[in-house]
Amino acid sequence: MKKIYFPILLVILPVISQAATAATQLDTGFKLGPAIILISMLVLFVMVGFLFRARDTADFYVAGNNISRVGSGMAIASNWMSAASFLGMAALMYGTGYHGLAYVVGWTGGYVLLLILMAGQIRKYGKYTAADFIGDRYYSQALRTVGAIIAILISISYCVGQFGGIGLMFSWILGVEYNVAVLIGGSVVLAYTLISGMLGVTKNMQIQYVIIIVSFLIPLFILTYKFDYFWILPQIGYGSLVSDIVAGIPLNETHQLVNSLGQDFAVVPSPEYAMPWDSASEQTFFQWIAIAFSLMIGTAGLPHVIQRFYVVPKSHDARWSVVWGLFFICILYWSAPAYAAFGKILSASPEVGKLAKDAIVVYTAQLGNLNPLIVGLLAAGGVSAAFSTVSGLLVAGASAFSHDIYVKVINPQATPSRQLLFARLATILMAIIVGVIALLKLALIGQLVAVAFSLAGCTIFPLFLLGIWWSGSNKQGAIAGLITGGLVSVIALTYFIAEKYGIALPAHDFISYWLGAWYFAWLGAPLALVVNIVVSNMTPETPIEIRKFLIERVHT
Amino acid sequence: MSDDYNGYHISFFRPTTPRARANRTIVIWLASIWAVSIFGFQILLLVLEKPTPEPAYLTFQSVWGDVEDNSADKVELQEFGKSALSVLGKIAISDKEKATLENALSWSIYQLTPDSLRSVLVARVQGFENIKAEIVNIANPDYITARNALSKELSPVLVLVSNDVRRNILPLALRSSSMKVLTDDTKASLPAIMEKYLIHNQSVLTDTRFLGFPFHYFYTGVFLLILFVGLCWVYCVLVDRLDERLKTVE
Repeated sequence: MKKIYFPILLVILPVISQAATAATQLDTGFKLGPAIILISMLVLFVMVGFLFRARDTADFYVAGNNISRVGSGMAIASNWMSAASFLGMAALMYGTGYHGLAYVVGWTGGYVLLLILMAGQIRKYGKYTAADFIGDRYYSQALRTVGAIIAILISISYCVGQFGGIGLMFSWILGVEYNVAVLIGGSVVLAYTLISGMLGVTKNMQIQYVIIIVSFLIPLFILTYKFDYFWILPQIGYGSLVSDIVAGIPLNETHQLVNSLGQDFAVVPSPEYAMPWDSASEQTFFQWIAIAFSLMIGTAGLPHVIQRFYVVPKSHDARWSVVWGLFFICILYWSAPAYAAFGKILSASPEVGKLAKDAIVVYTAQLGNLNPLIVGLLAAGGVSAAFSTVSGLLVAGASAFSHDIYVKVINPQATPSRQLLFARLATILMAIIVGVIALLKLALIGQLVAVAFSLAGCTIFPLFLLGIWWSGSNKQGAIAGLITGGLVSVIALTYFIAEKYGIALPAHDFISYWLGAWYFAWLGAPLALVVNIVVSNMTPETPIEIRKFLIERVHT
Repeated sequence: MSDDYNGYHISFFRPTTPRARANRTIVIWLASIWAVSIFGFQILLLVLEKPTPEPAYLTFQSVWGDVEDNSADKVELQEFGKSALSVLGKIAISDKEKATLENALSWSIYQLTPDSLRSVLVARVQGFENIKAEIVNIANPDYITARNALSKELSPVLVLVSNDVRRNILPLALRSSSMKVLTDDTKASLPAIMEKYLIHNQSVLTDTRFLGFPFHYFYTGVFLLILFVGLCWVYCVLVDRLDERLKTVE
């Protein structure tokens, strides 16, 4: 085999290098090197999927319950590390400094809540999907259907940010307009999902994790080395960079450190980058806390995250998979702020112009004058992160439709081939909806994804928290709580969309500030919990068989 | 069985199984540490913080009165121009704010130029603007030569030392169209812009350095994540021990 590969490499590598180095501007032109890296990655994922493909329906949904805790941790991390983590987080810190750390804390701290309050218990409860749990625990087909619809809405909302990231990276790689890139990228990710959706999802996720994290870390090591910071551990080394941004970096008269456009590695004192809730960021203490809180409870309520706990054999493994998953996630989250800090200095000159914040990770590598192939690897890693998440979310959304709505409610006698047909149709429909919304460019990737978290925090989280920890929570309480959380969500999102289209609604400033689209769960979730408790106490108690199950199976 | 389990009722605050009771204690401890570490620290930051101006803001404040009255002397105009330039070097400013600051800077340079040379200054800046508008790549040699020449020529006007990064920003921030008048709009909005970008919430937690980081940044961006992994690890170990003690079989 080596005899075949070697000549191919000899032909391809110089072509890649030549094409990649030809790009002199940040945005323009088709970049062959990154394109080949990206295609290779996707082909690898599909091939791995074929090797470990699902044998039956149970295998498809939960990978046969036989994944190790470290492997499951990697799958959790891969599932989690989306375009929002890979591209969006650095963008938020680049734009708003310390405020962006609320997203870092929110998207990691939520795992502690998820672990100590839910992970083991969810595994012990033993359902395939979030809607399954809701329908069973609250003994209501209607709630199962609503739960499935909410899971689909959350998947769509989460996917919109991913499509934005895919659009940006395809735009960078292909050198085409964002809208065209969204259409091309969206079509490719849909085809990828339809091909790989029934394949070995969990095994694939483990490999995706390794590739994504390697593509994210390599450029960072090189950047810290190149600009003379502590490169052995860049996650700590960038601390001095942050302090340098605060104090300012004077011009080096020898002009040794420059970016790829020839501008000095220098910046005026910019304490606004690191100081808390700085007026320059136009964000307040309340917003920092509300975002962190909403993201944390949203994490514990996301259907596709909760679903990961069914792929391990026991609740013991479910718990340990969270520890490993969080550790693997943190490797990326410790690193992302470093890109933002480097990006801040490397793009400090007005000559660089306004950069798309969501692509700052790639621009930083480019401005840092890294080898174009390394930059290409980084961009391909970003696309892979988005692809793995979109693929997982579209499959989760399609499962919610075909499993929780079509089979459980509409047609219990449906044949497996008919189920699969409906799952595929649902996947295509969701991809079209997501693509159309992504074209509207409503906000930054990280912010769009945060909407999904608040939605999950207001709706799914209260149902799971009370469903597991209080046998008194009953169907009526769940419905009332869901209506309350849903109402808060609708109000927040209505004001957000109205603002985007210049429509002034009553008390606009007040609602937009206190119920921002990326943090409305700070109010919606506690309200939903309170309403659920009050209504449950006023209505007939939960059936004995559910209470018995909770005590004997979940808490014993 | 029914009596033991209180009629099969369970809640977090009234756990009815030995395992649920022990688990609740662990959860309460870990959740408390989690909440205090995240929100407690941010509240502490809020309590300790003091609005701290950058030196450029103090300079601006000291000269603004005279600049506004059109009675500023040469040194005051230089300090005024430098303070505007300090904000123009920041990335986060909006286009509207940028236009205001560019007016302030351009006007101060114009005022500092002798009357006889003012038309030459405007022509030089205009010439550079034309070159900038024509080029497609900032690596263009003509553009670089013109930019460096303008920087070298005008930096002494504001007394910018050789390693001052503002030397690089100066030629890019000058606008020939807004040199002659400090507009009413600029006069009205400039103090708020300077306050917005040059006053920061600082305290002992932000000024202390730890492993190179401002301490609060390290705590939130690095330490909290380590703590989260640690809390999860501790929880798993404690629950494993609990299961062992209670001989829980799944």
